[in-house]
Order: sequence, then structure tokens, then C-alpha cells
Amino acid sequence: MVHEDYKEMIPARALSALDAVEMRALNEHLEECSECRMELQEWKATAAALAVTANPAEPSPEVRERILNEVRKDLETPQVVPFRSATRNIWTSFGSLGAMAAVILVTALIVGLVVLWRQKREAQVQLATLSGQLETTQKELQRSNEFYQLVTSPGARLKELEGMGQAAGATGKVAYDRNGHAMLIAHGLPKVSAGKEYQLWFIMSGKPPMPGKSFAPDNTGVATAIDEMPDVPLDAVAFAITLEPAGGVPAPTGPMYLRTAQ
Amino acid sequence: MALLKAVAAKDEASLAQLYDFYRVILFGLLMRILNNRAEAEDVLQEVFLQVWRKAGDFDENRGRPFTWLVTLTRSRGIDRLRTLSARERVAEAGAKEATEAISDAASDAFRSEQRGLVTDALAQLPDEQKRPLMLAYFDGLTQSEIATRLGAPLGTVKTRMRTGLMKLRELLAGKGESFGF
Repeated sequence: MVHEDYKEMIPARALSALDAVEMRALNEHLEECSECRMELQEWKATAAALAVTANPAEPSPEVRERILNEVRKDLETPQVVPFRSATRNIWTSFGSLGAMAAVILVTALIVGLVVLWRQKREAQVQLATLSGQLETTQKELQRSNEFYQLVTSPGARLKELEGMGQAAGATGKVAYDRNGHAMLIAHGLPKVSAGKEYQLWFIMSGKPPMPGKSFAPDNTGVATAIDEMPDVPLDAVAFAITLEPAGGVPAPTGPMYLRTAQ
Repeated sequence: MALLKAVAAKDEASLAQLYDFYRVILFGLLMRILNNRAEAEDVLQEVFLQVWRKAGDFDENRGRPFTWLVTLTRSRGIDRLRTLSARERVAEAGAKEATEAISDAASDAFRSEQRGLVTDALAQLPDEQKRPLMLAYFDGLTQSEIATRLGAPLGTVKTRMRTGLMKLRELLAGKGESFGF
């Protein structure tokens, strides 16, 4: 598809009415096309106008209370314990002014410490989140690079896999070159339990499925596997992913989760 | 928008203000999608808690707060609709038609200028273009599902949907400021 084809799909995307395959294709294009991203924003504004044709309705007052209660819980901060009031009147003696100044100073110090402590804690949380994101992004980048190199190598082929049964929303792609060097990237596969892994299969009609590598998705639900294909005609081969005992098996025994799109 | 910035800075009063400003339109949208008060209220709560957590993600260069809030609400509403069982939806389908007919007549008092603008614009669209838009927007149907529902070829549905939304955009063009909420 070319840019203009994608552009035509944008109004339907703004209504989230594209079918899954088109949606995925357009989403990939949007990642690299800022013009289409901007256009999508404009169409979303038009689509949002449809909302006002719904009859206005008043939610019960409890909803507001529930929201604000949740928000207050979120805002809860460490409490500063108040000082007990002095037993004598501190205004009556000059010396007590010093005591009052000390009280103010100590209170300010405590408040300052609490603020600093909170800022430090927030910074630590942010740092941990960002480090995690950076690591994930680096992994994704590396995977994308490998995949890109394979797809752009001479004589390379790319096949789409579609989710089945329990993994209807899962998707996958297998790229392979003319030497049979293949790479799989799959999204949306369910997590595997201990002792289980997914396994890639190469399928030629009229022959039993040929086993490929076994693998498990990472924390973000993305799975990759690099494999060398058996000696099969590259245009006629299909792929499937099944759930098997960890380490893989010579012939499939478990349910199929992905297969070459029809 | 200053209000969303204040919410991003964790100002509770600004969230309350935002809620008071948008609750009627967003709850109306959720009622239209879900046709179930308890579900719609639950989703409305989810939406505003998400706004509380994610207001910092709002980018004023990429659209108006109204679009952001409505898109978020509609998306949450459609997600909830899909998780409700088909049985419940069939049972409520009849009730939905009736409710709309009654409240249409009763809601004249609430009819805002913005609402009038959009309904007038929609009235200028032929039914064959309007229906795919409404089925997609309020029922969360995809183009293939709409084609099946209307018994029309998929290609025809795609064309009508695109033409319908383009026409709506033209009809609303230049009215953006009064429509800006």
C-alpha cells in the first residue's frame, strides 16, 4: 500500500471502525508518517463532534464523590505531627520569643525534610520507570533492526501470522531470506506457565510439520525467535505456533496459537 | 487548556471543576453507548480517574481538550460494551430505541448550541451515509460488521463512511470556535 491508500483509511480509523488487519497496517504507517498522524487528529475532532448528539444525562452525585475520594487517597501525604501547645503563655516573656522562633524553625525544617523526602522518592520512582522504559525501548529497537535487515536483504520474504482460538488478538510476522534465515516477531501471545513454551513449525502441504525453535514472550508480551528453516521451497512454506513442553518437541502436541494468514 | 494542566499538577479542585463542566455530555455519551446507568457511571468514574493520572499526556498541539476527553470516554465505553455479554445487549436493544425516542422529545430544554450544530449537519447527510457513522461511533462496529448489519457490500460501506465523515467535517468547518467547548 502507498501513502494515499493509508490516507483514505484515516476517517474510518478516527471512528475506530477499521477491521483488525487494516488497523494494524495503518498503525504501522502512522508510526512513521507525521502527516497522517496530524490528519488523524483532525478526523478525531470531527468524530468527537458526534458525541454531542447523544442526549445529555446527569450521573448521580455519588459518582463525583467516588472520584474525589479516590483522588484524595492518591494525594495522601505523610502527616507532620503537630507540636503540643505550651503549658504557659509564651507571649508573656521575652525569652519565649526565642522558643517560638525555635518552634517555627524546627517545624520549617521538618516540613522541608518531608518535602525533600517526597521529591527524592518520586525521583527514584521516575528513574526506575525510565530505566525500565529505556531497556524495553533498546530491546525493541534491536529487534526491529534485526527484522529490518532481514526484510531488506535480497530475495527476502515476509509472511503474516494470525491469532487463533485463545489468542485471537495475537499477531505475528515471519521474515526470511533466500538462505532460509528466518526471524519471527509475535505480539499478544498469552504468558506461558512454567514448563511450557511456544514452538515454531514449518509446514509444507503433504508433509508432517517440521519443528522450529521454542521460545517464550517477554514481559511486554512480545516474542521473538530466530531460526534456520529446513530445506523447503521458500514460496510454499507456511508457519504455525503451538504451545508445547519447554524446549520443544519433534511433532506438535499442543493447541495452535498463530498460523500463516489465509 | 489551563484546567487540564492544573489537573496534571495534581490539583483536586481543578479535577472537580473539569468533572462539573463535562459530566453531562460525557455521561450522555456513555448512556447512549451502554444504555445502562450503573455501567455508564462506573465507566465515567474510570474515565476521570484516568484523566487524573494521565492529564500530563494531553498535548494541546495535537487537539482540543474536548476531543481528548470525548475520545477517551468513547473508547472506554466501547471497551465496556464489548465485555458485556451478547445476551444482555440483545435484551436491552428494544429498551434503547424506546429511551431514545422519549428523551429526544424531553431533552429540548438541554439542547445546546453545539448539539444543534451537529444534529443540523447530520440531518443534511443522507441516511445511507449517516447510519454507518452512528453504528461505528455509538455501537463500536467495524466496517465489516456494519456491512453485515446493513446488508451492503463492504466497499460501499467504506465509501459511504468516508464520504459521510468528510461531509460532516465540511459542514462543521468554520464553526470550530463556537464548537470548541
